[in-house]
Amino acid sequence: MTPFAIETPATWMIMSAEVIALIVIIAGLAQLTLYLIQLLYASVALATRPPVSSSATLWRRYSDHAPAISVLAPAFNEELNIVESTRSLLALQYPELEVIIINDGSADGTLAKLIEAFDLEKVERFVDNAVEHAPIRGFYATASIPKLLVVDKANGGKADALNAGINCSRSELFCAIDADSILESDALLRVVRPFVDRPHETIAAGGTIRIANGCKVDSGRISDIRLPGNFLALVQIVEYLRAFLMARLGLGKMQALTVISGAFGLFRRDRVVEVGGYSHGTVGEDMELVIKLHRHMRDLRQPYRIEFIAEPVCWTECPENIRILARQRARWQRGALECFVKHRAMIFNPRYGRIGFIGFGQILLVDVVGPLLEILGYILMPLLWVLGLLALPWLLAFLAITFTFGIFLSIATLVIEEIQLRRFPKARELALLALISVVENFGYRQLSNFWRLQGWWQFVRKQQSWGTMTRKGFATN
Amino acid sequence: MPHRVEGGDVTSLASLWDVSLTLWGMASLSLAALLLARVIAKGRQERRNEARTRLLPHLLSGENSPEKLSNLDLKVATALTCELAELTRGSDLEALLARAAALGVPALLSKWLGALSPQKRLTAVETLGLFESEGLEIQRALNDRNRDVRLGAALLLAKRKDGPSPFDMVRKLRIGTVERSLMVASLMSDLASRDPEGVAALLIEKEVPMQAKIAAADALAASGSHYASLLAAMAREPGQDPNMQKRLYRALGKAGHPSGSVAILEGMQSKHADVRAAAAEAAGKVSLSSAIEELASLLSDQSWEVRYQASRALLRLGSGGLNKLWEVAASDDYNSRTTARSILAEAGAA
Repeated sequence: MTPFAIETPATWMIMSAEVIALIVIIAGLAQLTLYLIQLLYASVALATRPPVSSSATLWRRYSDHAPAISVLAPAFNEELNIVESTRSLLALQYPELEVIIINDGSADGTLAKLIEAFDLEKVERFVDNAVEHAPIRGFYATASIPKLLVVDKANGGKADALNAGINCSRSELFCAIDADSILESDALLRVVRPFVDRPHETIAAGGTIRIANGCKVDSGRISDIRLPGNFLALVQIVEYLRAFLMARLGLGKMQALTVISGAFGLFRRDRVVEVGGYSHGTVGEDMELVIKLHRHMRDLRQPYRIEFIAEPVCWTECPENIRILARQRARWQRGALECFVKHRAMIFNPRYGRIGFIGFGQILLVDVVGPLLEILGYILMPLLWVLGLLALPWLLAFLAITFTFGIFLSIATLVIEEIQLRRFPKARELALLALISVVENFGYRQLSNFWRLQGWWQFVRKQQSWGTMTRKGFATN
Repeated sequence: MPHRVEGGDVTSLASLWDVSLTLWGMASLSLAALLLARVIAKGRQERRNEARTRLLPHLLSGENSPEKLSNLDLKVATALTCELAELTRGSDLEALLARAAALGVPALLSKWLGALSPQKRLTAVETLGLFESEGLEIQRALNDRNRDVRLGAALLLAKRKDGPSPFDMVRKLRIGTVERSLMVASLMSDLASRDPEGVAALLIEKEVPMQAKIAAADALAASGSHYASLLAAMAREPGQDPNMQKRLYRALGKAGHPSGSVAILEGMQSKHADVRAAAAEAAGKVSLSSAIEELASLLSDQSWEVRYQASRALLRLGSGGLNKLWEVAASDDYNSRTTARSILAEAGAA
């Protein structure tokens, strides 16, 4: 009994407490079931993954018949990394490749650095006007690197820059990436696989995004994979592993993937043009595009596939500063809510099949009500205990199951990583990540939900700002 | 809502704790297994590295010939053969394979063809493909339960004289029904180099699916222009799937023979933008001067891809096409004029 306990609680108090507890428990159970199903499907995807030929064999086989790819890399104030990132893109192994860097009205020396490093000249280019974007100011290219094109345009945001890239691209497929990310050299050869295997059905595919903080970069390649020293970066490694190797791998297997990361995704250009390209005025443009594609194909009643392939890896820098991370998470939350509301007609709509039920069910449980209920649970459960409406053993049991399940999922994802990718060379690193999977539950998890709640609030208040991501740049040898 | 822990509540409470403990136990065991596997793997890797250091000079140059190979040595030699074969060519490759064969690598690879892991079977097939004498073993893999292994085997056999006929390949891989990969085009190209008549026979075989026929036609077009009229007839076939039609027009362009001109002109009128674009591209590739007016009319097409391919085709047609582009660039029609001016500017002819 606590000092604040109510000796003889009124019936309405007990009933209210029961209703609240029931909502939290049911939503928690639904989330738990969803995660277990995802884990199961991720394991099935792992067990039935198709065998992969070596990069050299793939190169030989794809040299004549694989579809051409335009890599679109929007860059905004990226002078720190842009030359190295471009070199890394140009070095990608793929037979028919075009690299389009879109300078989205940078205020720094991004364009000047590119012109100087690659000896570019202003050129003319006949481009499409199928999707909307801010005006293009010029094109830059050089005869010595025919596969490189730099597009200079007025600032319009990432979606706008990608739309400009889509209009400039002349390939059947385009790969949208972040200019500050690093693709593994054979990533395109691997991610293109579903487009080769099922050419008439596959319309999009995504790969795994990994955190590059702490890794050594040499000539635009990750040369030494190491864990960062920063706690926030370490926690994000575990989060990314869970997101990609459990959620996306599982949802991909179920053909219910609702997001392909903006940092690395391959799309059929004509299908993206049909849905009007990336939407303006949204912060979750990557998720929105995938949902639009699902909706379009379901409306057309045509068979299609959107795949997730775990092997192709793209490395990216994550925020190590708590304020920047908070802004990023609030933005992601807003993005998910925007997509959910914009496409609410798809929710549990039989016309949209598994996307309406599984895809949107996942968004509803995890992104829409997830942070609300978890925060509600953290506040109300102890409050009910203080008021004597909940017995201490029950409070502890609820907390224990919440945390042990979180830890279980993280460790299961580490196992999948070990089998599927095995990118951590040292056992010590695995042990450290396992420790982080435990520690993150006490403090970080609650903080993360609080940031997502902030995202909710910003969404309700219709705030649209992106905030800025200050980059340190990759550590180079 | 359990605000008193009594009776049946105790059972539910205990169940909650049981679930938590089970989850915790599973997580701890998985982690322990993971770390233990790493430690074991580290020891094994060290032994493998040691074996690699011993075997590498022998496989590369015949030095340090091993007297007797352990099972681990043979596995390492096999893995090394796979790696080195990707990096060597010509006489170096032949010498490498001879040394690997003397060590017993092909025998181990044949054993791997029965492995449970499709990855291991595919690696075995792809490496066996390097050994001239292993044709029969690779043919076994054509019946593998995994489609990737079957396709891998077929791609290797297509280049070999002792490989099955094109018809058998289509049947075993179930091309057009189960196997729809773009790699079928690659397979047909190799088959057409080895057995052009066999591939041509697929075109008239009733039970061969359309996708296999188109891949065959595409491959034959690349090997010469003898089949251009057949391709043209297939492209003109009523009710043809636009995806297939697009590929046929591309093949016609590749064939580079003017016998497909009527089909190409028809293709430029198709209601499918992809087909119009492919036909326009083909017109440029076969230097179809008679298509200049049709190509000019496509410069105002709704689809950018069609406008682009038509303008590129006009550029390819030499002075006739270039003059047409100049003419259109000065015309009143906004869309055609913009296309013509843009492509002329890009080509540096503005």
